[in-house]
Amino acid sequence: MQRETRIAHYVVGSLTALSLVLLSLPLSSPVRSFKACASYVFDPLAYEGERGYQKMAGVPVRVRELLTADILNRRLREDLRGTAWLKVTVESLSLENERLRLALGLKTTPGRRPLWAHVMERDPLHWYRSVSVDAGADRGVSLNDPVLGRKGDTVVTVGRVVEVRSHASTVLLLTDERSAVAAYLSSGTLEGLAQGQDGPHLRMNYLNSEARIVAEDSVYTSPTSATFPPDVLIGRVAKVYPRDPFLAFQAVEIDPALDATSLQEVLILCSRAAPSPAQEAKPR
Amino acid sequence: MKPMRAVLIFVGAMFIQWWWNTHLSYWGAAPQFLLALTILLAARRGPVPAMLLGFAWGLYADALRADLFGANALLYTLAGYMAGTVRKQIDLRAAGPLAVTVMILSWGYVLMVGFLGSIFDHAFFWVGWVPALFTPFLNALAASAASLCWDVWGER
Repeated sequence: MQRETRIAHYVVGSLTALSLVLLSLPLSSPVRSFKACASYVFDPLAYEGERGYQKMAGVPVRVRELLTADILNRRLREDLRGTAWLKVTVESLSLENERLRLALGLKTTPGRRPLWAHVMERDPLHWYRSVSVDAGADRGVSLNDPVLGRKGDTVVTVGRVVEVRSHASTVLLLTDERSAVAAYLSSGTLEGLAQGQDGPHLRMNYLNSEARIVAEDSVYTSPTSATFPPDVLIGRVAKVYPRDPFLAFQAVEIDPALDATSLQEVLILCSRAAPSPAQEAKPR
Repeated sequence: MKPMRAVLIFVGAMFIQWWWNTHLSYWGAAPQFLLALTILLAARRGPVPAMLLGFAWGLYADALRADLFGANALLYTLAGYMAGTVRKQIDLRAAGPLAVTVMILSWGYVLMVGFLGSIFDHAFFWVGWVPALFTPFLNALAASAASLCWDVWGER
């Protein structure tokens, strides 16, 4: 213990003396050299430390950027989930649309696909004959596809496709004299054939000669029709023609439910599936 | 103390002292890790290693300042010596006595720096009220924390 104390005294004496020399002679050459030496030894610590600190100072910024990117990523994922929800909503609306369409009374033949198209051209000289629509083979339209229209909430018969081009089609209206569709009267379920007359009205022939026909009776497409789905409204009985004693049937005049001159949009019941985008891309 | 650990503590303490003073001091108040560690070393290992290490740390502190070259070396040496002397009467392993000793020696340091300034620089070197009042407490905290670390990870 005594030895340690003695050594401590020697050490404190020596170091104190040295310190006092350093304090007393700060401008002397040996002290300046000593200070320079001490600075040379210790300065790198502060210098490298500062450089390291500067490098580390950028870390919080990068961490913040990383966090911001993570937040953005999570938000985008949420949006993506929202998109999935939107898709489900669209599918749901599509199903609802199907249900409403069925509620309207449209009995789509299985395998037919509804396709809405706009009337893009109509010849003023042939108002009651045909119209052109903006859907063609590119959207799966084919010959003799039935074409319907909409009047309020009701689907009505318009005509059928008689010509298909790549991006357009020609629809032969029911009012054209070449058109004919099997139909029935709602009151007596009397079947007949509704034919166009190149005018605003149709003529329904082959009705039972003994039947009692009521004016304003509704006319629907018959289930026996080869082209049209059943129970689609054609029009109303406007006039019952006087009986012809030489004919075994009677006839009526029909007011079409949808005026061909006001036709803007039609519903084509396509028998072909819609072509895939790859097929559409092929040169014609 | 193993040489490698001693070197690590020697350099690490200087680094922490520089970093804290440069980036974490408020109104001039920052703990003097080197002084606190010198006293702690004296309390645990005796005055001789504390004085030698304190002198080297003091030179480092002096090398970073423009005036009174040698003042920190002298004061750290004296602090190590005094703590090494006090430990014969008081158990400085306990946190309380160590903190009190560090506080007293820190205030002594503040006053002694002023006196050394008046002797060797012709003006009393006053560190300011905030450092003078708060630094001793920070030193005591630093010494207590270092003592705790020593107990947990250091040699007993």
